[in-house]
Amino acid sequence: MQVKKECVAMLLAGGQGTRLGALTRKVAKPAVPFGGKYRIIDFTLSNTINSDIDTIGVLTQYQPFDLNQYIGNGQPWDLDRLEGGAFVLPPYQKAKSGEWYKGTANAIYQNIDFVDRYNAEYVLILSGDHIYKMDYSKMLAHHIEKGAACTIAVLNVPIEEASRFGIMNADSEGKIFEFEEKPKKPKSTKASMGIYIFTWAKLKEYLIADEADKSSHNDFGKNIIPNMLNAGEKMYTYDFKGYWKDVGTISSLWEANMEILDSQAGIDLSDTNWKIYARNTAEPPHFVGATGKVSRSVVSEGVVVEGEVVNSIISRGATIEEGAVIKDSIVMPNAVVKKGAVIKHSIIGWKAVIGENAQVGEYQEGVAPGEWEIAVIGPNVNLAAGSVVAKGAMIEEEN
Amino acid sequence: MLAILFASGNESKLNELTIHRTTASLPFAGRYRLIDFALSSLVNSGITRIGILTRNNYSSLMDHIRMGRDWDLNRKNSGIAVFPPFGLNTSRDVYKGKIEALYTVLDFIEKAPEDYVVISNTNVATSIDLSEILDEHIANGADVTMLCHRAYATSSKRIIVTKNDKDIVTDLCQVEIPSVQEKLVSLNIYVIRKDLLIGWVEQAYARGYVDFEKDILFKEVVSNKIFAKEITQYAAIVDDVKTYFNESMKVLDNETRKELFDTGRKVYTKVKDSVPTIYGENAKVVNSLIADGCEINGTVENSILFRDVKIEEGAVVKNSIIMEHGIVMKGGQISYTITDKSVVVGANRQISGSDTYPIVIVKNKTV
Repeated sequence: MQVKKECVAMLLAGGQGTRLGALTRKVAKPAVPFGGKYRIIDFTLSNTINSDIDTIGVLTQYQPFDLNQYIGNGQPWDLDRLEGGAFVLPPYQKAKSGEWYKGTANAIYQNIDFVDRYNAEYVLILSGDHIYKMDYSKMLAHHIEKGAACTIAVLNVPIEEASRFGIMNADSEGKIFEFEEKPKKPKSTKASMGIYIFTWAKLKEYLIADEADKSSHNDFGKNIIPNMLNAGEKMYTYDFKGYWKDVGTISSLWEANMEILDSQAGIDLSDTNWKIYARNTAEPPHFVGATGKVSRSVVSEGVVVEGEVVNSIISRGATIEEGAVIKDSIVMPNAVVKKGAVIKHSIIGWKAVIGENAQVGEYQEGVAPGEWEIAVIGPNVNLAAGSVVAKGAMIEEEN
Repeated sequence: MLAILFASGNESKLNELTIHRTTASLPFAGRYRLIDFALSSLVNSGITRIGILTRNNYSSLMDHIRMGRDWDLNRKNSGIAVFPPFGLNTSRDVYKGKIEALYTVLDFIEKAPEDYVVISNTNVATSIDLSEILDEHIANGADVTMLCHRAYATSSKRIIVTKNDKDIVTDLCQVEIPSVQEKLVSLNIYVIRKDLLIGWVEQAYARGYVDFEKDILFKEVVSNKIFAKEITQYAAIVDDVKTYFNESMKVLDNETRKELFDTGRKVYTKVKDSVPTIYGENAKVVNSLIADGCEINGTVENSILFRDVKIEEGAVVKNSIIMEHGIVMKGGQISYTITDKSVVVGANRQISGSDTYPIVIVKNKTV
């Protein structure tokens, strides 16, 4: 008999993340590097294990190879378990059918057997593209206490931004009576974080019904949640307080990275009771050479700095040569910035090589930080010496 | 090939640094323990059956190695076996020397399916491919291949090797005084055919011999079947505070780091999931090796910071080694100092040793 798991997590990691452009051409969004040594998905995976949920299905579809390899058997997150653990779940061929994941709900529908195998009572639906720390076990306790069919984690957002989100309108008890996707005139500021807990038996019913409906988009936000609301199911909000950031765009990704430098504003990574785990690459400590200069920056293992780094994130294995200047930028893993190159307000993709004296991005004076146009050099790009890349430009690897 | 590592050795000369630990678990190069280099070289050479012989204070070592997963050594077949000190019923103490130590694990060696054994001290930091050395060992028809490098012998424990042009060892001796000339010095890493080793150890033990080098190797030189293999890449032998300090500082050299870390073979260690290091507004770091998890807001020059070290504003650290969780508070100044784990240097305190005599501050102390 299979060991019973009270709650199984399902992490939707199949999205392409088109708005990240060159960064997600060859990897899925959750696999994009973050904060010097992490990948975006590390936050959700670490939250899951830190919340004592040890069975997690990672649903992949778009460019899965990198993510599969990264997650492996789940060991870096302590998810290599005798019973349960981490499973990468790509779409697969079944006896009578075989198709891609059509939508978020369909992805779970196609893996009903996986959840059933653990005899789970509850299922936690997560997405792998947010930077935050959250104890899902508290949300689960709330779900059980309310006897809810569905609990949706919500974040209070400023009213002027509310129209960018899915907004939950709930009564004083948190019982949801209305859901509006990106409302023009929001009635509340409770934005859905895309984190749901369902009572599995209920969700299963709705997934099966949804699958039978040919006109459905098979999507949680568009179909499942509204259907459940219309049917009068008990649905509650769960208030989350703390740092939460969607890193779906170049500017939000850049911003979330930069916020690490601000101990007040950004995510606190140093809490030893809530560690964020990442796959380790066994690199030596970083080295700042005789000509190196680093201030107000994050520097990870394996980095060699011979140039100047200000207000930047230098990820593991990157090399900053003598005379190079990096300002307000993110240098992703194993990138090389050659002598005399100047990088400002930019993201340098992993394994990119910036030729000598190249200039990437511009300092944008008088522009609010949120409005800065970030230049992006895609992963593996070899930027010729002396090249000039304008602010906000995106350079991609050929083919 | 299987491997036997000696976790202890020279603890008395490492003074304060080995009060709480074995030489094998001495922190080195910012994020490692000395044994990481031996373990990584073995794993990278395809050697996965590894016995570690401990003698005393080995709890830090057990904590470091755990099941060996961080070196990919949590295997069904082979993997790491840590042997706590084994006292034979016939003797009251734990073993005195390598011969006795090897005798207590003869069973382990005998049962292993491998035909060759590499025996190594764990006070050596280098990155070598032992599979190549085994190939040469077999091609030479050697009884023993001992690894050596050219160095100034700085300690009375070093073994000086003399060899002929065919790499056959013609003489072995232990030096008593530091030499001014570079000599061929043994790294105390030996490749030996298994049945030969078992025979030697059994006989030597029966005769009450203690010292593997003096009582076995020195006497076998006459057989002309001991070969010396000179390695040219960086290899540190750490056997006292001074060599610990000097070898640590050599890691700041680009060439040394290349030879240790940039060989295509990785050096593995226990994964601690520290966050990347954060530099503050006033950080000034030059020519230094910095591990993850540090917060730097002061000046650091020619130094090594281990994981999770804090250098507060106005603090100045020069030519020093600060181990894990160390803190140098505001205005603190240290030079030529080795602070062990979790040492706190208080605000405006000044500590300075000299390059020939670095000061060591014991674990958990507040100055």
